[in-house]
This record gives sequence, C-alpha cells and structure tokens, in this order.
Amino acid sequence: MTTNSSNESSNESSNESSKITTSQTIGPFSHEAWQWSVDATADVETTAPTVTVRGVIYDGDGTPINDAQLEAWTPHAAQAEAQQAIPGFRRIPSGEAGEFQFRLSRPADAPADAPAAFVTIFARGLVKHQFTAVFLDDAPPSPLLAQVPEERRGTLLARRQPDGSYRWDIRMQGDGETVFFDYT
Amino acid sequence: MKFDSVPSGVYPELVYPEYKSTVKRGPLQPLLRLDAALPVSDNIATPSGLVLPGEIDLTRPDGCAGEAIGERIVVTGRVTDEDGKPVRNSLIEVWQCNAAGRYRHKKDQHNAPLDPNFNGWGKMLTDGEGRYRFVTVRPGPYPWGNHHKAFRPAHIHFSLFGNVYAQRLVTQMYFPNDPLFDYDPIFNSVPDAAARQRLVSRFSIEETMHEHLLGYEFDIVLRGRDATPMGL
Repeated sequence: MTTNSSNESSNESSNESSKITTSQTIGPFSHEAWQWSVDATADVETTAPTVTVRGVIYDGDGTPINDAQLEAWTPHAAQAEAQQAIPGFRRIPSGEAGEFQFRLSRPADAPADAPAAFVTIFARGLVKHQFTAVFLDDAPPSPLLAQVPEERRGTLLARRQPDGSYRWDIRMQGDGETVFFDYT
Repeated sequence: MKFDSVPSGVYPELVYPEYKSTVKRGPLQPLLRLDAALPVSDNIATPSGLVLPGEIDLTRPDGCAGEAIGERIVVTGRVTDEDGKPVRNSLIEVWQCNAAGRYRHKKDQHNAPLDPNFNGWGKMLTDGEGRYRFVTVRPGPYPWGNHHKAFRPAHIHFSLFGNVYAQRLVTQMYFPNDPLFDYDPIFNSVPDAAARQRLVSRFSIEETMHEHLLGYEFDIVLRGRDATPMGL
C-alpha cells in the first residue's frame, strides 16, 4: 500500500479536492509569529459585560504545559467587539506555569446553547489541535453541554470564584481528561 | 456546512511514541461528535485591514535594511473545502526558520546564525478563488533533540482559519524528495501514506521566475462540505 502512494496521488487528480489536508503540530516557535500577526492578548474592547475565565493547562502527568497556544471564540460577541483585531476572538499563549486567562464578552442575547467560548488548543506534542468549549457553572442549562456524557460534563465547567472570576483547568490526558469535540 | 467524520489514518496519531512529546499530551479518549450550529455556520470575521501588502514578502521584512539570505522561493496554491469550493477571504499565517535552520524565537537555542533581515513571519488573505501566494526563502533543516540524529525536514508552518470555526487547521508544508522524511516522527505520525504525501509541495516551473526565485505549489483542502440542498 505504501509503495502505491505516489501512483495514487498522480492518478486521482480529479478526486484530490475531496481529500482533506492533515494537521501537524504547531511546534514550540509560533509565539512571536502569532503575536505579530493577531495580537489578541491586549486588553479587550467590548460594549458587552465581561467575565474572566482563568486556569492552567496540564499534561497526562499533571505537569503544566508552558508552550500552548489557546484560542477562544465567542461568535455572538462579534458585534460588541467590532474594535478587536478579530471580533469575538482571543489568542493567548500559556505562561511558564501553564496558566492562561481570557476576558470574554457575555452579550445578553447569546443563544441558549452558546458556551462562554469555543476553545481551540495547540501545543508542541499535540499533532492535531483540539476543539473544546467552556461553560460557566452558573449559566442556564445548555443543549450543547447536554450532548456531553454526564460524568464528563464537569471538565467543561468554569467554576465561579469568590472574586467573581471563573476557574477552568484543561487536562489533555488521563484522569479528568477534558472533553474534545468533533463537529457534524 | 456539513462535517463528515474524517477517515481513519488521515489525521496523525495523537499518541505517537516516536515523537516523544505526544506521549503525555495526546488525548486518549475518542473525540465526541456533536451537533453545534455555530462552529459550522458562523464566520470568523477577519477584517481585510489585518493584512498589509508587504506581509506576503518575507524576504524584505518591514523595518529591515536588506534582503533575507537564502534560496528565494514563491509558494502558492488554492484553499478549498472537501467539495472543491474555494475558501475565500480567509486569513492564512505562515512562520518558519531561516535558511540556516534557526527560528527568530527566544527559546530557539540552535547554534545557527540569525539573519538580521529575516523574521520568518507572513500573513495573507485568500482571494475570490481561494488562492494565496507569498515569497520567502527556503527554510533549512534543524536538529531538535527528539532522538539520535533528529533533524526536521525543511518545512513551513501554516495556520488556516477557513470560513467557519470548525475548518480551522494548523499544518506544515514540506518540500519534494526530502531525504529526512523517513526519519521524521512528526511527518510520520500521519498513518496514511497518501495523506502524508498531501503535505508535500510540488515544484512548479510555471511559478518559477527567471533569475529571481523558484516556484512551489501547495494546495490545501479544509474540512466541510457545501450544505446547499440539491436542486436549489
């Protein structure tokens, strides 16, 4: 099968467009390039109320991942964030202790199934980026969260802290592994 | 837009022990297939002002006095969905090491020279046909410590937003006939040989410019199918 691959690719040009391009790791050297390109780490300009979600990203040993890139997307916030580089979009690297923090717009008219943000995770050693989402633990029930097996829903819940912020940790592997999505 | 399951073998193995960093970072649970309208329907708006014309030429970076050192190349191709429909007005970002194999990054400790005239960063929007084009220098291979004699094949990192969130892709473009392919666990983490081959660009004499630069073509297919009902 391996030896046929070059023939396959040259003989099936009419079908090539239906074959998706696979992913590869972002590697450890994206930070300067992405910061130059879309600096979404700066303070957020928004006309909507906001919440802060902060946490730590861990590997399967519980070691913080200090070279991850996280993106958070809140599509219904685009109008409130018209001044942002990409409205409704955040992009931040994890810190030296694996820590991250998003300030997210919470427009009152968000759809019932909307999470606080859709989140994408990239890192060295992660050959395919992972899609997940974060929900506030005191928000109304979400039909999207209801699709997640009950015993794993807690991995997507950001828990309200005494100071009013929310705490959400990401575990890439093992006990309490965060639920990662594929969309239909 | 509709998202079919990706056939087995097309995506890399999330835990692929030959690439050591995957062992504790790759998720072990299967992905949860779910219905969520927004990620497959709502556009991530990428304002045209994000991209300036000079940002497609990495060999003459803004603020640098001279021209980058190395073999000048142009890379071009089309971005489409699974039905061959163009992905239009979508932000593409590229980053790479210089011709000597060193990234402009504070954590890159490789003992190779930095080029004062090369940052290694570019960005562009796809046009109405989903086409993109940028000029750069061919990146060098570099050692990375994963295993004995570990050198990455020459590659350029690509970030693609697609037209909807669920099309998001980060990948790497490789160069034809690289002798390092057989020894690179990142390239080989993709089980399907044809899928690996789709990461390799094609030399193009048509895109090659006389006495100036060499041409490479790299087409990219993002997930998702046209969801327009038949007959409309």
